[in-house]
Amino acid sequence: MEKALKRWFPLFVLPTLVAFIIGFIWPFIQGVYLSFCQFTTIDRTTFVGVQNYVNAFQDAEFGSAFRFTVSFAVVSTILINVLAFLLALALTQKMRGTNIFRTVFFMPNLIGGIVLGYIWQILINAVLSNLGQPLLALNSKAGYWGIIILMCWQQIGYMMIIYISGLQNVPGDLIEAASIDGATPLQTLFKIKLPMVMPSITICLFLTITNSFKLFDQNLALTAGEPAHATEMLALNIYNTFYFRAGPQWKGIGQAKAVIFFVLVVAIALIQLRATRSKEVQQ
Amino acid sequence: MASVTLKNIRKVYPNNEKKKKSKKGEPVKKTNLKVTKEGVLAVDDFNLEIADKEFIVLVGPSGCGKSTLLRMVAGLEEISGGDLFINDVHMNNVAPKDRDIAMVFQSYALYPHMTVYDNMAFPLKLQKMDKAQIDKLVREAAETLDITQYLERKPKALSGGQRQRVAIGRAIVRNPKVLLMDEPLSNLDAKLRNQMRAEIIKLRKRIDTTFIYVTHDQTEAMTLGDRIVIMKDGVVQQVGTPQELFDHPINLFVAGFIGMPRMNVFDAELIKDGGKYAVKMGKVVVDLDEEKQARLAAKRVEPQSITLGVRPEHLTLESTGGPMLHGTVDVYEMMGSEIHYHVTVEGKDVIIIVPTIGMKDVVPMGSDIPFTFGGNVVHIFEKEKGTNLEF
Repeated sequence: MEKALKRWFPLFVLPTLVAFIIGFIWPFIQGVYLSFCQFTTIDRTTFVGVQNYVNAFQDAEFGSAFRFTVSFAVVSTILINVLAFLLALALTQKMRGTNIFRTVFFMPNLIGGIVLGYIWQILINAVLSNLGQPLLALNSKAGYWGIIILMCWQQIGYMMIIYISGLQNVPGDLIEAASIDGATPLQTLFKIKLPMVMPSITICLFLTITNSFKLFDQNLALTAGEPAHATEMLALNIYNTFYFRAGPQWKGIGQAKAVIFFVLVVAIALIQLRATRSKEVQQ
Repeated sequence: MASVTLKNIRKVYPNNEKKKKSKKGEPVKKTNLKVTKEGVLAVDDFNLEIADKEFIVLVGPSGCGKSTLLRMVAGLEEISGGDLFINDVHMNNVAPKDRDIAMVFQSYALYPHMTVYDNMAFPLKLQKMDKAQIDKLVREAAETLDITQYLERKPKALSGGQRQRVAIGRAIVRNPKVLLMDEPLSNLDAKLRNQMRAEIIKLRKRIDTTFIYVTHDQTEAMTLGDRIVIMKDGVVQQVGTPQELFDHPINLFVAGFIGMPRMNVFDAELIKDGGKYAVKMGKVVVDLDEEKQARLAAKRVEPQSITLGVRPEHLTLESTGGPMLHGTVDVYEMMGSEIHYHVTVEGKDVIIIVPTIGMKDVVPMGSDIPFTFGGNVVHIFEKEKGTNLEF
């Protein structure tokens, strides 16, 4: 069996590998190449060297999108994970109806980002108008917190499920041993439960951080970057640069921004994975 | 360093689920535990005075409530009724951490993210003890248990026996008033178990504390306990020293549980001839010894049909001159110092243990084997209830 597998594995790998190369690897290489060109289509290109990158870094909107994205990512990652963990703690107690609550909290995940964006736009605008505040299109502060609320609402349930499975895997013996050893419930939480759910924390942090940086459709639907690009995040900024800026140079600059964006997300994800993986324990 | 008193302790698990019905419409009964209106009675009316520094073993088959009882002493299970005192302080509503007890779990329950040192230091750190003192105590305990060389390792890198030592180390390092052990040797292989059993006996000499030890293994109970508490279906059967339980089991359950291989039982008659009690099996009549005569006489026991118990090592092939019992050798097991004959007597399995020293010939399988017993080694049980008529 093993011998046969060794012999024939290329045959089985080939279809997916070809699809992966056609659909991902080749466009990716082309994309990186195009980021060094001024182009209108992929055939009509002029090589311009690093000029696109220089322009990208000099673009004030890109800088502001970067700052907005980072501040959004930090706040939403913390809020989503803390709240999801607290919910998971609450819903792993022996109580009636925990399954119903788990289902309810998970449900927002089943709704697509664009739809969510429009729903929350209506909700937030209604609240703002009742309070006599400017609506989302003119209110960058409301836009910022709006995206955060939306993302919390959408993602907490999902992360909660991961934390619940992590908490359920902590052996009951350990908790009992800790209570006999003299630990208060709070000490048990910080010294036993948290270290034991590190694998879940790794996954959840990875997902929330990358999701926050990659965020596009919710951003587009809720505020579309208004007012005046003040709530525009990196992905939306790249999209707008590529499709809506007048001038032949902007496609190349958008391409360069996309490459920078890619490197940034990969770097942050790797740093985070390394940092949290080192704290995981094998039982 | 403490006495423990258990008074009328009860544990009831309330019936939350609706009663499951089997196909025939009768409630499903999984155990012999008593089911009351409140729920399932896991421990019923448990009374015991444990003296300071005593080693008590709770023993019984699985589901008999022994672990539940231990967990109630630890504070991990709520006590449904009765009172628990440690050093005469009422403990029913005291949190586990404030009871000054330590516990060794069957699964060891070591903290996998901490080194052996940190595992053992954990209870001391929680007491906010200063670092130098913690270090001293941890190293002392490690020395006692011979695990000093593993202090910097994580539990994952240790074998089962080493983990067990660490678990014991974590328990003894803070010198608890009562040390609770819940089947601590069950996860070890037979050889290691024997070794650790001896270690626990040694350990017990070195640390002055009260032990409550739960096991289902009668060998552990016999070798470790000052006193043994035998439980069945949540009810205490007998409390006594290992020798008392072995010599005077209160009923057939205790008789069968204590002693390896288990006690043989025969159908017999208790007769009274000229004021003297004797047991009669077929033609064989064996007079009881003085002590048993006196005990039965004191209880005014009438002659009746009985279940007779004789331990395998108390059956003998030596002729006493009178008529002998007869059986057929099914198989025999050569153990070296002794030989175990598995014999069929009137359709019942009987084991006879014969020392090999001075033995003439092995009785071959399939052949007739005559045997008998003395009047000092018999146990006389009431036929229906299985209670010992001497009590």
